[in-house]
Amino acid sequence: MSNPQLEIQLIAAIVAVACAIPGVFLVLRKMALISDAISHSILPGIVIGFFITQDLNSPLLILFAALTGVITVILVEVIQKTGLVKEDTAIGLVFPTMFSIGVILIAKNANDIHLDVDAVLLGELAFAPFDRMLISGMDMGPKSLWVMGGVLLVSITLLILFFKELKVSTFDVGLSSALGFSPVVLHYGLMSVSSITIVGAFDAVGAILVVALMIAPAATAYLLTNDLKRMLVLSVVFGVFSAIAGYWLAHLLDASISGSMTTVLGIVFLLVYLLAPKKGLISVLYRQKQQRTEVSLITFLLHLNNHSEKSERHINHLQEHINWQKVRSKSVVDLALKNNMITIDNNIVSLTKKGKEFTGKALDYILTNRDDKIENIKDDFFLFRG
Amino acid sequence: MSISEYFNLLWTDYTLRTITLGTAVLGAICGMLGSFAVLRKQSLLGDAISHAALPGIAIAFLITGSKDTYILLLGALICGLIGTFWIRGITTKTHLKSDTALGLVLSLFFGFGMLLLTYIQKQPNANQAGLDKYLFGQAATLVESDVFIMIGVTGVCLIILLLFWKEFKIMLFDMDYTKTLGFNVRFIDSLITFFIVLAIVLGLQTVGVVLMSAMLLAPAAAARQWTNSLGTMVILAAIIGALAGIFGTAISATQNNLSTGPVIVLVAAVFVLFSFIFSPGRGILFREIRFRQNRNDLQLKKTLQFMYDIAKTHQNISHPHAIRILNNFQGFSKNSLRKMEEKEWITLKGQEWSLTNIGFEEAKNLYNQQLKDE
Repeated sequence: MSNPQLEIQLIAAIVAVACAIPGVFLVLRKMALISDAISHSILPGIVIGFFITQDLNSPLLILFAALTGVITVILVEVIQKTGLVKEDTAIGLVFPTMFSIGVILIAKNANDIHLDVDAVLLGELAFAPFDRMLISGMDMGPKSLWVMGGVLLVSITLLILFFKELKVSTFDVGLSSALGFSPVVLHYGLMSVSSITIVGAFDAVGAILVVALMIAPAATAYLLTNDLKRMLVLSVVFGVFSAIAGYWLAHLLDASISGSMTTVLGIVFLLVYLLAPKKGLISVLYRQKQQRTEVSLITFLLHLNNHSEKSERHINHLQEHINWQKVRSKSVVDLALKNNMITIDNNIVSLTKKGKEFTGKALDYILTNRDDKIENIKDDFFLFRG
Repeated sequence: MSISEYFNLLWTDYTLRTITLGTAVLGAICGMLGSFAVLRKQSLLGDAISHAALPGIAIAFLITGSKDTYILLLGALICGLIGTFWIRGITTKTHLKSDTALGLVLSLFFGFGMLLLTYIQKQPNANQAGLDKYLFGQAATLVESDVFIMIGVTGVCLIILLLFWKEFKIMLFDMDYTKTLGFNVRFIDSLITFFIVLAIVLGLQTVGVVLMSAMLLAPAAAARQWTNSLGTMVILAAIIGALAGIFGTAISATQNNLSTGPVIVLVAAVFVLFSFIFSPGRGILFREIRFRQNRNDLQLKKTLQFMYDIAKTHQNISHPHAIRILNNFQGFSKNSLRKMEEKEWITLKGQEWSLTNIGFEEAKNLYNQQLKDE
C-alpha cells in the first residue's frame, strides 16, 4: 500500500466520521433533507468565494460557503413561516434555485475559474493527495486532510461540550427551552456545523455523496439501537468501514471512490434494513404475521366462548362464520390446539379449561381496556407463539 | 440574438422550435403532476426519484450497450419506480421518517449510479460519451421524436387525470374517507405516483437530475397561491410550467454559455416569487395590506369606544369634549380623528370633538356585539 493510497483512505475515513456526527442529529431531528439542500445551495457561495480567494481549499472560502448554507436554512424557514407552502416544498424550491444561480455563475465566468460543476457535484478523492499543504516549503500532507481534520476536531469538541444540550433539544424541545437551553441557538449551531462539514467535504466526495455520508450511517445505526451514544458510535463505525471498503472497491473496479463508498453504504444499509434484529424488514414482517394470527386466535376463542350450541362450533361452520380463508383458519386452529386452548371432538370444537380462563381475561381487557389485565397474558398462556 | 429575434426565428428554425416546444410541454406536464406532488406533501419525492433514476440509465447502457434515449429512459423509469417503492417500504415498515428515507434513496442510488458511470467510462471500447448529459440535461439534444413522445405522454396523462379525476381529488384531501368509500387506494396511489415518476424521467434529458425537482414543484407552488380549486390549480400550474419552459429556453438561447435547465428553473423561481408576493388572496403584499387595514380599523373602533364611554355620561351625546382628554389613551392621531369624521362618527370643531348620532349608534352596537360574544 503506497503512501497516497494510505492518505486517500485516511481522508475518506475522516470525512466519513465528520459527516456521521452531525448526520445523527439531522436524522433524529427529521431534518435529513436539509443536508441535501445545503449541499446543493453552497454552490453559489463556493463560486463567489472562489472569485475572492482563488483557492478551493482556503478557509475563507469554506466559511463563505458555509454561510451560504446557513442562509439557505434561514431562507427555507422564512418561506415556511409565511405559510404559503409546506416545509418540504420550501426546501424543494430554495436549493434548485440557489444551485441554478451557482451553475449560471460558473457558466458565465467559465474562462476565469477552474471550477467545474461536475467536480463540485461529484468530487474526486483520488486527486486529494496531490494538493499538498506547504508551510515554509515543508510538506505537511494533503491540504484536505488538514481541512477535514480541523472540521472534525471542531465538531467533536462541540459534541462533547454540548452533548446533553443537544440530546435534550433533539428529543424534547419544550423541556429544553424550559431548562434554559435555547433550542434556536442549538438549531443554528447544528446547522452551522453541518454547513461547514458539507463545505469541507464537498471537495473530497462531492455535494450529493456528502448527503449519503450524513444520512446513511445514521439511519443504519438508528435501525440497530435507540441509544444516542451507541447510535453515534455505530454510525461512525459504519462511516469508516464504508470509507475503507469503498476505497478498495473503487480500486478493484477502477471507478469513482466516492461512488463506491456510497455503494458500500447502500449495501450496509440494505443488509441492516432487511436483517436488523428488531426493526429489520424481515423481523417486522414476521412479527406482523405473528400478531395477525394471535389476534385471529383471540377472535376465534371469543367466538367459541359465545356459542354453546354444537352447530355453531362445527369446524366447517367456523370457517364460513368468521370468514377466514382456509389456510389462515388452519393455522389459527393449530395454534390453539398447540397451546391446549381447545379440543376437537368429532369436528366439534370446544374450549378447554385453560381456553376458558384465557377468554375470560381477554374479555376483561376488552371491557375495561386496562393494560395491566393483559400485560402478562401471553407469557402466562402461550407456550407457542403464532 | 435578442429576444424578439428569437421569437421571429421560432417559426422558421427547426432546432429552436423543437427545443421550445419540448421544454414547454415538459413544463406543462410537470406542472400538472407537480400539483399533486405538492398537495400530497411529497414535494421532495421528485428530487429523490430524479437522483434515483441515474443507476437505471447506467444499467440500461451496460445491459444493452445502446445509447438510444428511450432504452436509457426506460431503465431510469424502472429504477425510479424501485426507488419510490423502497421509500414507501422504509417509511411504512421501519421507524425511519420520510425525510430520512428520501435522503437515503436519493444519495445511495445516486452514488451507485456514479460508481456505474465512472466504471463505464473506464471501459475500453464503449461509446460511453454523453451519458453524463443526464446529470444536467441538455435541451439542445431534443429532437422532434422526443417532443412527440412527450406530447404523447402528456396526452395519456391528461386522459388518466380526467378519467380518475374524482378519485385523485378525494384521495388528496381525505385518504380515510376514500378508503371507506371502497376505492382501491393503493391502485390510485400507485397510478399517480407512476405518472409523477414518468414525468420526472422525461425531464431528465432536458433539465437533468439535479434540477428536476424544481421543475416539478415551482409551477405548482406558484399556481397554489392564486386559487383554492384543484382544477384551476392544475391548469394554472401547467400554463406556468409551459411559460417557464418557453421563457427559459428563450433567455438561454439568446445568451452565450447558458445551459437551459438552470435558466428554466430560475424563470420558474421568479414566477414563484411573484406569486408569493402579489397573489391577491394569499400573497405577502396583500396580506400585509389587509393586516394594516384591520389594525387601523381596530384602532379607530377603540377610539370610538373610548369616546362613547365619555359621551354616554352626558345627556346630550353630542356635547363637545376637548381632544386633550383623549391624551391618556393611545391610538388616536390627527389622521385617525379625520378618518372618524369622514365616517361621520364625530364632528371636529377647533380643539374639541363631539360624537354624532351615527357614531353613537355604531359604538353602542360595537359594545353589544362584544357582550354577545362573551
